[in-house]
Amino acid sequence: MNFDAILEKLINDTVGQSLGHFSSELALCVTIVGLLLVRLVSLDRWLPTYWVALLGAIAAFGLAACQMKQGGATQFLFTGLLVYDQFGIFFRLFLLLFLVLVIALTVISGIPDNEDGPDFYTLLLGATIGMMLMVSANNLLILFLGIEMTSVPSYVMVGFLKGRKLSSEAALKYVIYGAGIAGVMLYGISLMAGMLGTTDMSLIAERMHLLLSPEADGADLSVRSNAMLRTVVLASLLISAGVAFKLSLVPFHFWCPDAFEGAPAEVAGFLSVASKAAAFALLVRFCLALVGKDSGALSEHVYLYLGVGLGVVAAITATFGNLAAYSQTNIKRLLAYSTIAHAGYMLMAVAAMMVLVNSDVADAKLKAAGALEGLIYYLTVYLFMNLGAFAIVAFIRNQILSEEIKDYAGLGWQAPCLGIGMVFCLFSLVGMPPFGGFFAKLMIFKSLVDAGYANPFMWVVLAIGGLNTVFSLIYYLRVLNAMYIVPRPEGSPRVKFDFLPAGAYVVMVTLPVLLTGFFPYFPDRLSDTASRVANMLISNF
Amino acid sequence: MDIGLNHYLVVGAVLFVCGIICMATKRNAIGILMGVELVLNGANINFVAFSRYTALGLDGQIVSLFVIVLAAAEAAVALAIALNFYNNHLTIDVDRGDELAG
Repeated sequence: MNFDAILEKLINDTVGQSLGHFSSELALCVTIVGLLLVRLVSLDRWLPTYWVALLGAIAAFGLAACQMKQGGATQFLFTGLLVYDQFGIFFRLFLLLFLVLVIALTVISGIPDNEDGPDFYTLLLGATIGMMLMVSANNLLILFLGIEMTSVPSYVMVGFLKGRKLSSEAALKYVIYGAGIAGVMLYGISLMAGMLGTTDMSLIAERMHLLLSPEADGADLSVRSNAMLRTVVLASLLISAGVAFKLSLVPFHFWCPDAFEGAPAEVAGFLSVASKAAAFALLVRFCLALVGKDSGALSEHVYLYLGVGLGVVAAITATFGNLAAYSQTNIKRLLAYSTIAHAGYMLMAVAAMMVLVNSDVADAKLKAAGALEGLIYYLTVYLFMNLGAFAIVAFIRNQILSEEIKDYAGLGWQAPCLGIGMVFCLFSLVGMPPFGGFFAKLMIFKSLVDAGYANPFMWVVLAIGGLNTVFSLIYYLRVLNAMYIVPRPEGSPRVKFDFLPAGAYVVMVTLPVLLTGFFPYFPDRLSDTASRVANMLISNF
Repeated sequence: MDIGLNHYLVVGAVLFVCGIICMATKRNAIGILMGVELVLNGANINFVAFSRYTALGLDGQIVSLFVIVLAAAEAAVALAIALNFYNNHLTIDVDRGDELAG
């Protein structure tokens, strides 16, 4: 094939097929350029830059919604770097909805000010593009670039409040841990790419079989004696460490409480939901890529360990997050440990999926899709309840200039809207029955029950998850105790809180938490979508 | 002696281990970032060596080019954050950042 033919093929693939499916990312890119231009021609004196960012985010959301409506079969974009499927579209829609909500929150709460607006929104949108690459990655290079494109702007956003000691310390800790783990992950990627001779994630499983086929040297199925396979397993552990860092799983969680405490509440909320959701989508894709379509003999040796290993990490993470949250006095730090615990619960769903997808249980694929459905549902409810909690923290900070739980005394009575919103969000985070968090936890625990038939260890994970749910009630109640039971100290100024626009925002965010819980048939559409997305991903396999 | 794939991989592994040790022992933020650069370049040597000697082909070189660009971006951000830390603490000793704990 000569050069012209290759070039023509590339142009056809890019312009004809790929760019159209890449439209929501492109919209965000154009918005970033627009933000920088607005600053260049000093338009931002008259037109607050959040309008540009908000419009761009809404346009991207609309484009993603159109893609969701059209549906369409799975295809590969940009010569196989990205995969375009229902799962990816759902997560893009999820991330863009969240982006719109976060921009609206920053507009209401006033961080950043108009001077810093263009910088902040450029970083926010850039991080979101990175997350969108993560959820549709089909190549180890894109996996790495997506994670880095998300991380690098996040480091800056964490340290965005200039001249504050805590903020600069948090950013430094985050960037040092993050850069170190990124290097380790890249080394893992280099080993895996070298051993398998490809960076394409959809070929990983196939190539692993080639390593084990009789023609290869050392046709030995056991991990212990096949050096190549051993290297691949080591490489996949190093890559998982990178993803685990984004998910703040134990033992890669150190950055999370520090970064959240030092960062503005808006940024902490963004990181806690968006980067977790993107990392979970990436983890699911990576795990399924390791399994491949037809796992055969390898499954007993490697994949079961992978599923059970994820289960162990999930149980430890949930327990650690909940235990560490008890003694916290700062609300953002408490919520940070709570997000660590929730990452543990959600990882249980991934573990159940990995155990099920290869098992000989009846309807294994369907049950694996059920586990994935639980994860998607949980993430969706988690978006609203966690964003709600962080938004209320931001609004209260604007009033009392404090984020210590003891300073919240009696606030529930003085700002009823914020107080009730907090009650809803925290009870949903616990998993109390009338709220959305309950159904989400129920779905994940149900898939753990299914997974237990394939490997009884998953029942142990289920028991630990159940116990954690009960124990987590105590520290969430401590916040509500401060807000409602403890009286407001004498002489402290009365909190003036207007319903518009902050209260309306809280209502808008907490309403879905209530709706997904109160009307078991309302979330039907959400759970339908979740199950459709999950089934398509698993059945493609 | 013929230089082959394994020799390059050993160089990459040595760089990786040096980088990890550097990250673990240095208390100066700039020193830690230098360790990160060593780790990234160890991985880069792996990529280029694999691209020369295995079926990975040109993909390996493309990845290493991307990594070089990305390392520059990350270094820029990390140095800016280190400078911000210095402005607030008058030191870049990471052990002095001990206000966030618990």
